[in-house]
Amino acid sequence: MQLAPLPVVIPLLAAVVLLAVERHTPLWLVDATGILTALATTGIAAMLADKALQQPIVYWFGGWQPASGVAIGISFVIDPAGAMVACFSALVFAGAFLFGWNYFDDAMARFHILMLVFLGAMTGFCLTGDIFNLFVFFELMSVSAYAVTAYKLEASEIEGALNFTVMNTIGSFLLLAGIALLYGRTGALNFAQIGRAVASSKGDPLLAMAFALLFGGLLIKAAVMPFHFWLADAHAVAPAPVCVVFSGIMVSVALFGAARIYWTIFAPIQPVTEVVKSLLLYLGVATAVLGGCTCLMQRHIKRLLAFSTISHVGVMLAGLATLTPGGTAGFFLYLAGHGLTKGALFMLAGILMSAHQNIDEIALRGQARDLPTSGVCFALGGLVLAGLPLGLMNSGRELIDKSAEGTHLWIPYLLALGSALTGAAVLRTAGRVFVGLGPDPGEEEQSPSKMERDKRRPSALLLIPVIVFLLLCLSGQARLVEDVALKAAATFTNHDGYATLVLGGQVPSIPTPSAEHSGPLIDWLSVAFAVVVAGFQLGRHKTPRCLRWTADLVAFPFFKALDLAHTGHIGDYAAWMTFGLLLFAIAFVW
Amino acid sequence: MNHPNRSIAFIIMAVVLAPFVVAGLWTLPPFGSYPGPYGDVINAIGTSARHITNMVTGVNYDFRGLDTLGEEFILFASVTGVVMLLRGARGEAKSAAALRIEHRRREGRSEAVAGAGRVLAPITLLYGIYVVLHAQTTPGGGFQGGVIVFAAILLAYLGEGYSAWRRMARSAVLDLVEAAGAAIYAVGGLVPMFFGARYLENILPLGQPKTITSGGLIAVVNLGVGLAVAAGFSSIALELLEETRTAGDDQA
Amino acid sequence: MSIFPYFVSAWLFLIGLYGVVTSRNYVHLIGCLTVVQAATYVLLLAVGYKTGAGAPIFADHPPGTPAVDPVVQALVLTDIVVGAAVTALLLSLVLQLQKHRGTIDPNDLQPTRD
Repeated sequence: MQLAPLPVVIPLLAAVVLLAVERHTPLWLVDATGILTALATTGIAAMLADKALQQPIVYWFGGWQPASGVAIGISFVIDPAGAMVACFSALVFAGAFLFGWNYFDDAMARFHILMLVFLGAMTGFCLTGDIFNLFVFFELMSVSAYAVTAYKLEASEIEGALNFTVMNTIGSFLLLAGIALLYGRTGALNFAQIGRAVASSKGDPLLAMAFALLFGGLLIKAAVMPFHFWLADAHAVAPAPVCVVFSGIMVSVALFGAARIYWTIFAPIQPVTEVVKSLLLYLGVATAVLGGCTCLMQRHIKRLLAFSTISHVGVMLAGLATLTPGGTAGFFLYLAGHGLTKGALFMLAGILMSAHQNIDEIALRGQARDLPTSGVCFALGGLVLAGLPLGLMNSGRELIDKSAEGTHLWIPYLLALGSALTGAAVLRTAGRVFVGLGPDPGEEEQSPSKMERDKRRPSALLLIPVIVFLLLCLSGQARLVEDVALKAAATFTNHDGYATLVLGGQVPSIPTPSAEHSGPLIDWLSVAFAVVVAGFQLGRHKTPRCLRWTADLVAFPFFKALDLAHTGHIGDYAAWMTFGLLLFAIAFVW
Repeated sequence: MNHPNRSIAFIIMAVVLAPFVVAGLWTLPPFGSYPGPYGDVINAIGTSARHITNMVTGVNYDFRGLDTLGEEFILFASVTGVVMLLRGARGEAKSAAALRIEHRRREGRSEAVAGAGRVLAPITLLYGIYVVLHAQTTPGGGFQGGVIVFAAILLAYLGEGYSAWRRMARSAVLDLVEAAGAAIYAVGGLVPMFFGARYLENILPLGQPKTITSGGLIAVVNLGVGLAVAAGFSSIALELLEETRTAGDDQA
Repeated sequence: MSIFPYFVSAWLFLIGLYGVVTSRNYVHLIGCLTVVQAATYVLLLAVGYKTGAGAPIFADHPPGTPAVDPVVQALVLTDIVVGAAVTALLLSLVLQLQKHRGTIDPNDLQPTRD
């Protein structure tokens, strides 16, 4: 029982200790502390998950038990889903720390301190049962992210960091406004208590507005369209180990938080459920497709990977928005699989930067022939993103597809399209950079590429976390993992069970639901499509002119419009965000 | 989008959103009639349960102590970020002593300002410490008092001038004090766990209400917050003031 | 109108957001963010108010006298202090921008596209 606060307390304490001794500690010791703390947190969270699978744990801080249905203190409600996501987050951090070995030599220990605080906040975010506590950990995650992005900023990168910071700050204000509205209505800050208090109301404008604000804030963090513009800028700017964390886990955890809020508070409210099943599902699909298209247009490898993250976040949102245990279980599996794969890809991008001091795909053409293992891993990552029927990400996709089919038959195909486009972009990059395929840069538009000065580190060492991550993703034993995910999803989506667990009463036992999943046909189609698109982009100069012209005619206006939308101007981003909020408002009226 | 288009687009969207916002706010309980149970429960049990008379402090450091731990670490992370951004850009090696600006016109320090700073700084410091210590009894606490102490430190800068102030406010010391403040809170919450209680559970003797030793653990973590806030903001001020200078030799 | 304070909060929020969208100076933009933040504080404090009740401090009068909600006050006061620190972080970013690029106008900066 007393393990419950440790996933938060241990990283925070480690950060404080590091700050006290930073002037006297050699870098290797600081790196080691980071890795060990993250691994310890992974272990503790895994133990908590194991216990939670038998019986979810409720831990009241300060010893303040609730009195007659009124929660006085803050609780951690550790159900299997929360504990597993916390465990996975700590694992990604361990990988990021390992990848960052000997990288941050002139910041003393500050980078590691901030990353440890980030880790503590993230595990707290996953485990908490109180909405303002969720907000505090959300803020802590955000501020550590801002601070960590600010490491070694070059001149051209500060706007990226500013865009990131301003957009996420507005997101946290939206979240706080939503919390204020819920508090005004219910006088409570505990998820279960709020859920009970609003369950009786049939749904009124206040709850709709609170829902829009809460989800608006969290979807900004999750980088769902049209709130997504900041992610690519932040990734282009942040150091590679930080990108691993951003794409690998931070955006997915924001979706997890949003899902938690829905299931504990808004589930019995009919208008909100309608909006989730319609607006959020369509937003997810749109994000998947448009993210994939934008991904295909990028030259900067980290921005390319960032847009692919946005696309896959769309898939995850679609899975959640089906509001079924199958879709939710698919979300958990996809979260893990995508996190591992995307983390590995960002590490590979970091290896490219370290070895060749450049991150532009066109400028790197053929340069990385000396890194064959990295090339193979990169291509493998691309295939997994496209939908290769192997591993965690695929299990998740199949569950999501099957539950999305229930709403509209064409959704799985659109989701597959988005993933295929991202896979195509990664495969194209792999072909161009590691093999030297593709047209001579003389034929491409001569636009200046970004020079990235990065510390040189031995590629062999850096490949270790890459290979570990890819192996973990691909070797997920389908049956076993799916059963665990389905059980976690069943507890996660049980609104009444959560309330009785926290505030007293009989805890119902929940049978593990079974969920079907779609067959591998879509997966192979998606992989094939990815290979074809990548091949076309690489072999453009060898295809007949008419084919090239038709492709351009079809695709060019669309892609150009997408490109123009991403201006980099903070005012535009804020305007798009307002448009997103407007979509929520309209969805409620429709 | 260029500027006028963006402005018009936003105004249109805001106008369309306005009725929704009004509809949402309309159904809140009328202003002045707070119905909910949380605040009333805390007001009812605070004094008897923890011997404190300032309920806001009770909420901050006891009932919802974990939130405040998180907020304190947000402060910690922001200060670390500012320091990393500004000091990192200038170079760590130059941070030990005051830098000198080269071609900037030196404004003379007015004697009135210097005198006022010298007189007010210790008074404000005393007041800040008073506010921190009396968290459980009267309005105040670590956050508010910490900011007042920071104001006192800035008044000392006004009174003494930059180089002298720089010798007093060493970045190493400020870092240490801030770490100590955060550590007091985190460890102070951990200690009850060794005695079988929950994290941040109050197991110290609760003392008499209306004294500064009431509240048990609240007094301890409140002190931690006060230290962290004062040191953190002073670090920020130090970095921002250093920004007005460029590298040179160390002269008064 | 008994819900007037809520409208004040909504107005502050929208006007701050308008400032962010149309800002021509990053320091002005950060100021607008502070306005948006103030809007959330007004909403929180307004929600917790009780007419005719006093402060939730029982040093001078006994516990049991009507008092406003202490929870929102606690939330807001920690948020204000922390908000100041986050603003400092934002301003440091703007400082670095000014040093490296010579301008803090979002319109003048090159769009971050490759």
